[in-house]
Amino acid sequence: MATMTERKKKTVRINGCVASAQAAKYADVDVIAAYPIRPYTATMMALAQMVANGELDAEYIVADSEHSQLSIAHGAASSGARVFTGSSGVGVQFAYELYSPISGSRMPVQMMIADRTLDPPGDFGSEHTDALSTRDMGWLMGWSCDAQEAFDNHLIAYRIGEDPRVLLPQMVCQDGFFVSHITGDVDLPDPSQVKEFLPPYKHPYPLDPRHPVSHGPQIMPEQGPPLQLERARAMEDSMAVIEQAHEEFAQIFGRRYDPWVEEFMTDDADVVFFMQGAHAVTARFAIQHMREKGLKVGLVRLRTIRPYPTDRVKEVLSKFKVVGVIETNMALGSVSSGGVLYGEVAAALYESQKRPLVISFMAGMGGEAIVLKEFYWMTQKMMDAQKRGKIEKRTHWVGFEE
Amino acid sequence: MATIEVERQILPILGSPNQGARFYNPELPSSEPFVPGHRTCAGCGPSIQYRMTSKASGDNTILVGPTGCMYVANSSYLCTPYNVPWAHTQIGSAGSFTAGVAAAYEAMIRKGKWKGKFPNIICEAGDGSASDIGLASISGALYRNHDCLIICYDNEQYANTGIQASSRTPYGGMTTFSPPGPLVPEGKKLFPKDLARMMAAGHPHCYVATASVGYPIDLMNKVRKGLNHKGAAYLMVYTPCQKGFVYETPRSIDLGRLVVECGLYPIWEWNPEKRAFDYSFRPQNMRPVSEYLKLQGRFGHLHAEHIATLQKFANEQWRMMGVQLPEALIHAADAKNLTNMAAAAEAEAVAQTL
Repeated sequence: MATMTERKKKTVRINGCVASAQAAKYADVDVIAAYPIRPYTATMMALAQMVANGELDAEYIVADSEHSQLSIAHGAASSGARVFTGSSGVGVQFAYELYSPISGSRMPVQMMIADRTLDPPGDFGSEHTDALSTRDMGWLMGWSCDAQEAFDNHLIAYRIGEDPRVLLPQMVCQDGFFVSHITGDVDLPDPSQVKEFLPPYKHPYPLDPRHPVSHGPQIMPEQGPPLQLERARAMEDSMAVIEQAHEEFAQIFGRRYDPWVEEFMTDDADVVFFMQGAHAVTARFAIQHMREKGLKVGLVRLRTIRPYPTDRVKEVLSKFKVVGVIETNMALGSVSSGGVLYGEVAAALYESQKRPLVISFMAGMGGEAIVLKEFYWMTQKMMDAQKRGKIEKRTHWVGFEE
Repeated sequence: MATIEVERQILPILGSPNQGARFYNPELPSSEPFVPGHRTCAGCGPSIQYRMTSKASGDNTILVGPTGCMYVANSSYLCTPYNVPWAHTQIGSAGSFTAGVAAAYEAMIRKGKWKGKFPNIICEAGDGSASDIGLASISGALYRNHDCLIICYDNEQYANTGIQASSRTPYGGMTTFSPPGPLVPEGKKLFPKDLARMMAAGHPHCYVATASVGYPIDLMNKVRKGLNHKGAAYLMVYTPCQKGFVYETPRSIDLGRLVVECGLYPIWEWNPEKRAFDYSFRPQNMRPVSEYLKLQGRFGHLHAEHIATLQKFANEQWRMMGVQLPEALIHAADAKNLTNMAAAAEAEAVAQTL
């Protein structure tokens, strides 16, 4: 292994979309399937230019829909090519039919998602409902909170998904605009580092005329459960591979991420926020301010939601008195009548001997920024619950209450 | 960037294309990429077509099967009739999945990740996939000109799901979604979507043709022309379905010839170089549509006026092909001269002529 000093790293100031495009370039993808929808489009614009400039040798396909994008990706990955695609908002859902077939045929397609609200309201803002609505389809899934992490997550996801012990597709998500369109410093690695970290894609059973195979034949009902069990096990077994990949990433690139959760100022915290994605950056500032005033508040940011680190979430959150789940997604009529994350958190805590109180906050909806004031308000709600020993109600719509 | 040139296959064109199914052509390859062991019905037109198509294509081939009969009835888990790579895809993904396979091979060969001649990439889509739910995906693949052949095996209905009308189901065709009744005596009221012509008109850089299982050498040659054409090609093949059309199973090939002889399925080619249709194909006989209709239970409810309507439709197709119409066919387009197939006594009379 070469040392860090020998390598030609460079730092560039780019947004999340361009960071994702850069990652696809470093991964030397073979086939790219594009279709325009804001805000993720900027990734495909950047890749189109790279292909036009001769910086990246890939088939760049302008598909006729997101459904076709994912089908193109499925066909190309089935043939042995490394594939990159992506979408936002309703586009993610237009392709919905393909998510299960792709994970079911165990094709490690990678999809970049820059979140956008669904219709309605269909505004350009970030809400995680688009990607989260596909969360149980057998795709590895996690959120980045800035451009550098987005770049890194793409490479790490390819490494995990293409591992022969895993062979699962990956959704590498980032908040629309808050990550996708906000520039930050991104360290681009030396290509040799990527080569060392990410071996060439080699599916064990591609569509190759020299070794004929049949993919996805019709099955009898009794043949279904063993295949479903295999896919479920692949998801479970990926957890060890995910940890190994993050460890090797840290060694080769010098940036260390906990694969499951980031803890920020949680050492002696009584109340913590639990959330995914870009608003964690604002949360860190808010927490620093509140810490200066002596409030014992911290942050637990979920980095990987599929596979869901149930035991880790249980272990981490059991240390606190109150957990405030910031949803940034809609799950209408769900267990908390709020978002998806509440149920995930509450279920993980069910087996804990020391269960904290859990409150769900509907914040950042419609792609609105969650401002410092709102973090203070939510913290107050958590501290009130801590004092009373019970919650006032399960779900608060932030900004709609006193 | 150093790139490797993609080498493509050129397949020879067979002689005597206008011969019938019982004509033996010694040039036929012995390779059988589609072998027995599938579960299609006896006399299944699409599977006969599948065997001819894959035989013409040879072993360096990849097949794509969107949902339909040729997926459900052919591929049964732990048993496969495909001697070449085959993949199922969603019914609406016919063109897009195929495009993905073609793009992958372009990139992998160019980048030195796969060595060999570019494979023949064939998508076998039913008419439900090709004319309805997968139409946009196929149009996308043709428009972008991926080097592949997309075949619509046209059995004029959704057969696998239990015989439902597609936009290729002919006027008067009975299906479970277009049943005849007192208010709708003809069953299907709409005329079929002119799918192959749409593909030719909309994607003039592609090789587009129609064919029928009744003319196997012509079909195999069109498969090879489509594969030899660098870029996308589209072939629509008449493939009767005994379950949906309701006929005696040994008559699949006969129907494949009758449908052409009665003018309901014109056989033509679109030449992308000349940007022109080639209507030179001529069946050995011309017949009234009733000779084709009376063999099939799906038309058994038709009244004379409906048969006349279909004859008018066939006559328009003949004119389009540049054929001088014989007096008998003009005569047959008048309901006064025709028999109700729906009436029991008249059906009996028809049966006597069989």
